[in-house]
Parts: sequence; structure tokens; C-alpha cells
Amino acid sequence: MSSVSLKELTKQYAGNGALSLDSVSLDVAHGEFICLVGPSGCGKTTALRMIAGLESVTSGEIEIGDRVVNDLAPRDRDIALVFQSYALYPHMTVFDNMSFGLKLRKVPKDEIKVAVTDAARILDLEQYLDRKPAQLSGGQRQRVALGRAIVRNPAAFLMDEPLSNLDAKLRVQTRAEIARLHHRLGATMIYVTHDQVEAMTMADRIAVINLGKLEQVGSPRELYDRPANQFVAGFIGSPSMNFVPMHVDSVDGGIRLVSGEGDLDITLDDNEMDMIRRAGVSDVVLGVRPEHIDHRERTGLGLQLRASVDVIEFLGNDEHVHLSSGSHELVAIVDARTPLTIGDSLTLSASSDAIHLFHPESGEALK
Amino acid sequence: MSKETPVGERKGAKLAKRLHVPKFALNVILGLVAVFWLVPTISLLVISLRPESLFGQSGWWKVFTAPSQLTFHNYATIFSQGFATGGVLDSLVTSLEITIPVTILVALISSLAAYSLVFGFWRGRDMIFLVIVGLMVVPLQVALIPVVQFYRELGNLFGLNPYGTIPGVIIFHVAFGLPFGIFLMRNFLSGIPKDLLEAGRIEGAGEWKIFYRIVLPLALPAIASLAIFQFIWVWNDLLVALVFLGGNVHTPLTIFLYDQTRSLAANYWIVSTGAVVSIFVPLVVFFSFQRYFVRGVLAGAVK
Amino acid sequence: MTSIAVEEPKVAAPRPSSGHGWFRRNWVSLAFLAPGVIWLLAIVVYPTIATIRFSLYNESATKFVGLHNFASVFSTDAILTAFKNNIVWVLIFPFFVTFIGLMVAVLTERIRWSTAFKTIIVMPIVFSTTASALVWRTIFDLDPHIGVVNAIEQTVSDWFSTPGAYPLNTAIGQTAATLASFNATGSTGGTIVSKSAIHPGGTVMMGLTRISSVTLQTLGATTPVAPQKMAGGISGLVWNDFSPSQTSNTTTIVSDEHGLPNLRLSLVSSTGSIVASTVTNSSGDFSFSHVAAGSYHVEIQASNFQNAFEGTFWLGSQSITPTNGLNQTAQSLLSVPLIDLAMIISYIWIWAGFAMVLIGAGLAALNREVLEAAEIDGATEWQKFRRVTIPMLAPVLTVVFVTMVINVLKVFDIILNMAPGSSQGPATTLALSIYNDGFTGGIHSGIASAIAVILFLLVVPIMLWNLKKIKG
Repeated sequence: MSSVSLKELTKQYAGNGALSLDSVSLDVAHGEFICLVGPSGCGKTTALRMIAGLESVTSGEIEIGDRVVNDLAPRDRDIALVFQSYALYPHMTVFDNMSFGLKLRKVPKDEIKVAVTDAARILDLEQYLDRKPAQLSGGQRQRVALGRAIVRNPAAFLMDEPLSNLDAKLRVQTRAEIARLHHRLGATMIYVTHDQVEAMTMADRIAVINLGKLEQVGSPRELYDRPANQFVAGFIGSPSMNFVPMHVDSVDGGIRLVSGEGDLDITLDDNEMDMIRRAGVSDVVLGVRPEHIDHRERTGLGLQLRASVDVIEFLGNDEHVHLSSGSHELVAIVDARTPLTIGDSLTLSASSDAIHLFHPESGEALK
Repeated sequence: MSKETPVGERKGAKLAKRLHVPKFALNVILGLVAVFWLVPTISLLVISLRPESLFGQSGWWKVFTAPSQLTFHNYATIFSQGFATGGVLDSLVTSLEITIPVTILVALISSLAAYSLVFGFWRGRDMIFLVIVGLMVVPLQVALIPVVQFYRELGNLFGLNPYGTIPGVIIFHVAFGLPFGIFLMRNFLSGIPKDLLEAGRIEGAGEWKIFYRIVLPLALPAIASLAIFQFIWVWNDLLVALVFLGGNVHTPLTIFLYDQTRSLAANYWIVSTGAVVSIFVPLVVFFSFQRYFVRGVLAGAVK
Repeated sequence: MTSIAVEEPKVAAPRPSSGHGWFRRNWVSLAFLAPGVIWLLAIVVYPTIATIRFSLYNESATKFVGLHNFASVFSTDAILTAFKNNIVWVLIFPFFVTFIGLMVAVLTERIRWSTAFKTIIVMPIVFSTTASALVWRTIFDLDPHIGVVNAIEQTVSDWFSTPGAYPLNTAIGQTAATLASFNATGSTGGTIVSKSAIHPGGTVMMGLTRISSVTLQTLGATTPVAPQKMAGGISGLVWNDFSPSQTSNTTTIVSDEHGLPNLRLSLVSSTGSIVASTVTNSSGDFSFSHVAAGSYHVEIQASNFQNAFEGTFWLGSQSITPTNGLNQTAQSLLSVPLIDLAMIISYIWIWAGFAMVLIGAGLAALNREVLEAAEIDGATEWQKFRRVTIPMLAPVLTVVFVTMVINVLKVFDIILNMAPGSSQGPATTLALSIYNDGFTGGIHSGIASAIAVILFLLVVPIMLWNLKKIKG
């Protein structure tokens, strides 16, 4: 197991002005499970393939362990890659699929047998060793792809959206299995996905990438509690955070935030007022998560708002309520037992620590 | 290829070395292969463009050092013959007279049959398709003798013996083009959503109208592939033409060339010029419809 | 998985025909099918059955003869030769055409001008086999002024062993020794050596015969001059010792004889080493100056007699397999005529493009990621190719191979057009036999039909197998 380091990694495709990866720096610790998340096309898969050696590096460095691997062919980097489509050798049995890499490295036959049967046992594939991929289900094929990687005992595991081809139920199941696998092997794993739920549940740390740029890297809790910018705030958490643009008013030596129509009432604490003063902005974007808005009145610090109910989504224990407050649309999560009907006018509130403030132009969180 | 910064310079070089050196050798090798492949065609062209007298005296390749040898004289002679019977142009016309009707008939009948096999509702439909496709395996040699006889019977019964006539050749070619044609068209038509036809029926169109106005226009790409493949196949056929038109006054280009080879040394200028003419037409077809041709080749693996 | 698949129609399965109504409802649909079906029945189905019937009857189709025709087929030399040739074709052609198609399909992936290249390779399919046969016939022509191959062969052979001024005619069994006449004898390595030994200050005369007058004229030979003694050297004369006026005189120079110019000579010492060399002049005279004391022989070098380039008769029936000393039937069965090779080469030229297109499509359909996985697993380019690419291509390669086998079983017009008259017999194939036996000189149905049936039986199972492969 090794650490993996990306230093100012940049990728530009020839003849194309845009950078698919822009100066991304990231340090993955030895044995860490890190997720690269972001919307489609953000560059996360490109980054992974560059680490694997399947894409060339425009500038920057990739280190695996202590070696700079930019010049090394994929086979010399000591990594294993689990493809989204599994990429199993269709003409080989499961056993041969898993042992191919070892055979190429001239590992003696009995060692191969041990390694493969071990991996097969861990992944519950022992009875399928003689079958060909065409005879396996999606979930089984995915496990073979994992097995192929495990058998190699690489410095780092690279996984490219391995769950996206599975149905929902299998996905949840396999998610847990991969987490268990990580625990068991203590392996360095770099996992790419567009699904933030996968990232939140599996990763030690998450790196959020958007349009080739690294937006923020941190533990799931960090990203949830202290998103660095509006993008991360909106990406992490489902349903995503509510954003309301507000205007800054200086009043009585303090600061008030007003929305256009005046139906949102925010009382800022000193800390928040300082942040706004430091930023020197006259407008600000307010962020608050649906799960932090509840159906009761509050006095004092925090957010108060009056809204009418547009849509109610019943989810068993909770209800997702879509509201409109003036010209703003918000989502709140309330207890399902709350008596609500469409058209109702409600008063909702959120506490002061649930409030996030973002710079209106850069999107950066105010500090 | 990529924008290199000082940091990235070293890996660029290594990657390039992996690809560039072999790439040069590759280009050379493939270049030689391409030249080798073109030699026969070029030789034919050159021979046809050189005076007959030089043939046998100096190799055609000498023309590269003496380009003044090139002349259109042979072509002029051929074309001055005009459409006189037994000449190249006459054979060209005969080839067209055979190929074009065959192509049209095969395209039409195959489409009709395929339509029935895809959208028809009757028991045994799929079985009949399999049998028709199975007929693709029959080599046409097997049918020659009986068909000649069959033609003779027709002559006895109706006074019209197709043997030795162009229609006789056409009939034979169409028959052997149908299995493949039906196979191709049926494959294509089964990709057309049935709803389109339903919509037409609701609007009151009859089967023929639906076929003619809805299905046929949609099937044009497949028809193009079929037509090209069929055209070239019939244009280049020698055996069927020999059997049915062997002694005829008007013969297609393939027989024309074959006749000339019997007296090769004496008539080389005719042979080469005729060959170029015979190649010219399918070549034009090929280049104009390359995409369709390739598709036809892919499907034609069976033929 | 090939990209050639029969799709199942997206229409529902047909409703079972339910009595009277369905005919009225579906007559149009049946009418659409009718022309095709009738045509096929008349020209394909019925004739096939008829041919089978013909093969069991005599030539004029009046008497049932059972398998007699088939027995004749298997005992006629000409037809057995056809079988043999078909086997030769099947053994050589499909393999090489698939191989070349594969190589080309794989290599073109990497170059920029691949579209142009592919067009060049595919183009010959469009030419009629007749036209192609004619072109290749020219290429393989014996005369180096016509055939490219022989022209190249001549250039290469001339470069290695330039023809001498006096080429031997091996066709009539000439060797250097047979040319030796006066004071000359054939020696090792195709040389001619003087019988007498010479010392410095002496002269030597050597006479050769059977030199053609054309050669003498071309070389500008003049009347020979008797050699003069030369102090410290050796002088001599080599002349054509044949006088039309005094045919019996083989020892002295006669005025209507000619000297032999441009002969390369060596002076050989008593120990056998060559101490000097020279060339005769137009009257056949020569001299070696400053010769050390000793006894010498004059040697006429072998290179003088190097025969001219003979050419390879590619279009001929000369066998490349050893058949000497075998009886007639065995010979016809085991010999592989050179023209078969020539024709196979030209046929590969025509069809390699087809193989390339199909294999190229198969290559393009390959899952790139599987190859990347192999790279990560540690495979080199070659290992990737051999252990992943080729096995994954196996279905396509098989389809191509088998299609070519079927193609080659029916090969006909290339032989008709490429083989000169003398080679037609040795190069014949089954399809050609059907034509020859069935249609030349009237129409004979019996034997020709039998051959057709045999061809049918050979082709059908292979094609059915191929169809199944394509469907799956």
C-alpha cells in the first residue's frame, strides 16, 4: 500500500482550449479511501485515468509512494483499475481473468492459485471460477473485476464508478461490501463517482471536482458542515441546500439582510456580521439546508420565513415540502405527521448555526 | 501534441519515443504495401495508354522515365468504333442492359418480400424466411443446366426461349440475388417501428400505399447498399453470361474481355483498354457510394 | 461479437391463421411475397432438384444410371486434378487472405492516412475477376519486357551473376566443357583450361567451338591473329575453331574463322593460384606481361559462360512439389502447378480488402477498456495482441476464413482468364469443370450435374455453419 500524490495536475486535450483538469493538487494518505466526486464531465475520470497511466499528463506530477510515475507505463505503476464496465476478458474464465496479471509477471502457478482462490473466497466467487463472464450476472462480474484488482495486491486501487451499472438494491449492497473490503485490506483506494451518497457513505475524505478544478477536499463531515463554496454546498446533501440571494442593509450599527419582498427575516449573530463586514459586500447569498428548516416559530437569532406550500412529497418518515416565499422557492424537510396541505401558509424557521453565507460573485463561503 | 511545460518535458519525450520510432517504420511498410497494391491497377492503366507497338519491347514501367510514351490513341480507336457490334462500347451497353434491370428488380422484389415477411400476419412467416435465407447457400453452378433446359421448355410452350437473350440472363441473376436481397432488406425493415404503419392504416392507407410511401423511403439506405452490391456483382459476372450469352452477337464486357484473352498477344491494346473501361463503371459506383458499399460488404459476408 | 447480427423483428409473432377471414385480410401481404417466392422456386429450388436428378441419369438424360456418373467423376484424371486444385486453393488462400487482412486492419489503426490506405486495398473487389486476371497475367508474364515479376527477377539475378558474353544454352545441354576444342579442356567450376603448360616468353593458342555467329557478330569479333612471342610475358589467342570452309581443320587458324573477344582469362600458376587476369581483344588475342618464371596454364573464367536469365514461367504447370518418378495419376494428384500460386496471389490481391473491412469492423467493435485492463495487468503490446485482441477477434476471423473457403470452392473465372491454354488443364477446378463438361460443345448434363452436386455437398454444410455463426 502506498500514498498517492497529485501535484498541480493539469490536462489539456490537443486542439481544444479548455482544460479538462486544472492544476489539481491532492495528497492521498497511505491506506486512505478517498472519493473523487463531481458532475459528469468534471474531470474526475480523467484524473483517475491519468493516475493509472492511460492518459498523458499535460503538466504536473503524479507520485505513487515516493516515485514520480509520470513517465511510467501503466503496468509499471503497481496500480489496479476497476472499470465502470468491468472490462473482463470475455474469452477467459473467471479464474483466468483474475490470474492474467500474475501470469504475465511470471508468478509461479501455485502462488497464482493461492492468490486467486483467496480473493475468490473474499468475494464469494469460488463456485464461479470456471465460468466465463457471459455466464455471470452484473453483480458477479463486478466482483470479478474487483477480484482481478485484489489479486494484484497493488499500491493503490483505482475505481471508476464501479457501481453505476448495478441496479439500486445491488448498489447499496455492494457499497457496503466495498467498504468492508477496504477495512479488511487496509488498501489505498481512489474511488470516482458522481453520486454524492456513495461518496459520503464510503469515503474517509472526499474531493469535490467541478469543471476540472478541485473545489474542496475534506472529510464528509467537513464538507457537510463547512462547505468551502456554493458549489460544494449545493452538491453535497440531498435534497440540496436552499440558496436565497439577499441584500445587505446597514442598520443601527448592525447588519440586516433583506430579501426583495421582505418575507424572509434573518437575525444575524455577531460572527456573521463580522464576516459580512470583512467581505465588504452589499449583497450576499444565504444558504440553508432543507433538513435544518422546521415548522415552528423561533425568536431571536436565525432565519424566519413565511411561505406557502406548493408540493408535498411523502417519504414515510419525512415529508419534503416545496415552498414558495415571495419569489423564492425553497425546500424543507418536516416530520411526516405534520398536517399540511397544498396552499397552506406556514411559518418556518432555522437556527443561526444552520445559516451559510456565500459571496454573491465568487460563491466562496464567507469567513 | 500536448503543451509541454518544463516539468512535463521528460515524460513527453518518453511517450513519444514509444510511439514515434515504430510509427515511422509503420508508415514505410504500409506505404510499400499500398504501392504494391496499386501496381496492378496502374500497370493496366499505363498499358492502355501506351502504343501497342511498345508492348513486349519495353516494360510498361519504363513509362516513368519516358512519359512521352503516353497516348490516348487506344481509347480514341475504341471510341471511334462507336457502338459497332463487338466493340467495347457495344459491350458496355450490353453490360448496362443486364445490370441495371437486375438491380432494380432485385431491389424491388426483395423489398416487397421483406415487407411481407416483417409486417405480414400469417403462420409460417418466419419459417419461409429461414428457407429463403437458406437458399443463399446454393451455388449457382447447380442451377445452370436445368435452367437452360427450362428455358428451352418455355420456348417450346410459348415460343419464347430466353436462352441466348438478355432477359434470360436477367431472370437468372435476379433469382440468385433474391435470397441475399431479402435477407438484407428484412433485417433492415425489422428495425422500422410498427407504429408507423399503424398510423398510416388509421389514416386509411392501403398496404401498397403504406409500402410505397412510408416503408420504401425509410428503407433507402439499405436499398442503396443492396443495389450497389448487386450491381457490382452482376457487372463482374462471367459464368452466367458465358452460359446464357456465350455465342451471342452482343456480349457484356466480361465476355468481351474473355474473348480477347484467347488471342492475347495480338490484341493487347483492346484488352487493356477494355479492361479499364470495364473497371471504370464499378469504380465510379464504388467511390460515390463508398459508405453503402462497405455496409453491403459487411452484410455480404454470407455471399 | 461480430456486428453482423440478425435482429429479431420488433413485430409481434404472427397470429395463427384462423380460417377464412385471414386470407382476405392478408392477401396483399402474400401478394407482395409471391413474385419473390415464385422466382426462387422456378430458378433456384426446382433446378437444384433437377440437377440432382440429372446427375443420376446418363448424358442425354434418358436412362437412370444411379451413381455411375459419380463413379466416373472420381476416376477421371481431369476431374481429380480439379479436386486437387480446389484443395490447394482451400489450404492456401483462406489462411493467407485472413492473415493479411488481419495484419492490415491492425496496422492501419495507427497511421493518419488510413482511409486512403483502406480504399486502395479494398478497391480491387470492384474490378471483375476477369479484368483482374488479365492484369495479373501480364504481371506474371515470362517475358521480362512484359511481366513485372520476371523483370525484377532478371534485375536481381543479373546483379548477382552478370551474364557472360558467351551464355550457354542449357536447354540443349551445353556446358563449358562441350565448347572446348583445340588445346582446351573443361575444368572445375565451369572453366576451360589450356591443356599445355606455358612458360614466360611462350605463346598459347586455345580453340573453342559451338559459338553462335550471332554472338560473334554482337561482340564484333574479327579475324584471329597468331600470337607473337613476348619476352618475360605470355601471349596467346582464343578463337572460334570452326571454319565453314575447312570444317575438319581444328588445329590451325583459318581466315574465315573469328577470334573470341571479351573473354576473361586468368593465368594460373603450377600451384593453382591465379597470378594475373586479362581480357581478349576483338581478334581474340591477349597477353600477360611481367610473368615470373614458372609453369602456367591459361584459364577461361566460368563467368564468361554464365547463362542469361531464363525467367520463371509463373503461368505454367511446372510443379513446385516433387513429382519425379510418379505415375500419371499420382502426379496429377500431388503436383502443385506454379500457376496455382500465381492465381492465388492475384486472388489475395482482390479479396484481402474484404477481409480487412470485416476484421476492421470487428476491431472497432472491441471494448477498448478490456485492452486497457490488459495494459494495467502488465501486458506488452505484443502480449495484448496475442492474448486479448486475437481471442476476442476469433469470431470475426472465423467468419472471414470460412467465407473465403466457400468463395474459393467456387473459383472459376480467374482460371479461365489467367491460365494460358496449356495451363488450363492442370489448373482446372470443380466449378470450371462443370462449365467445361457441361457447356462446351453442347450441353451434357450427366457428369456436369454430378460435379455440381458434389460442389453443392461441399459448399452447403460450410455455408450453413457460417450462417449459424453469423446469427449467433
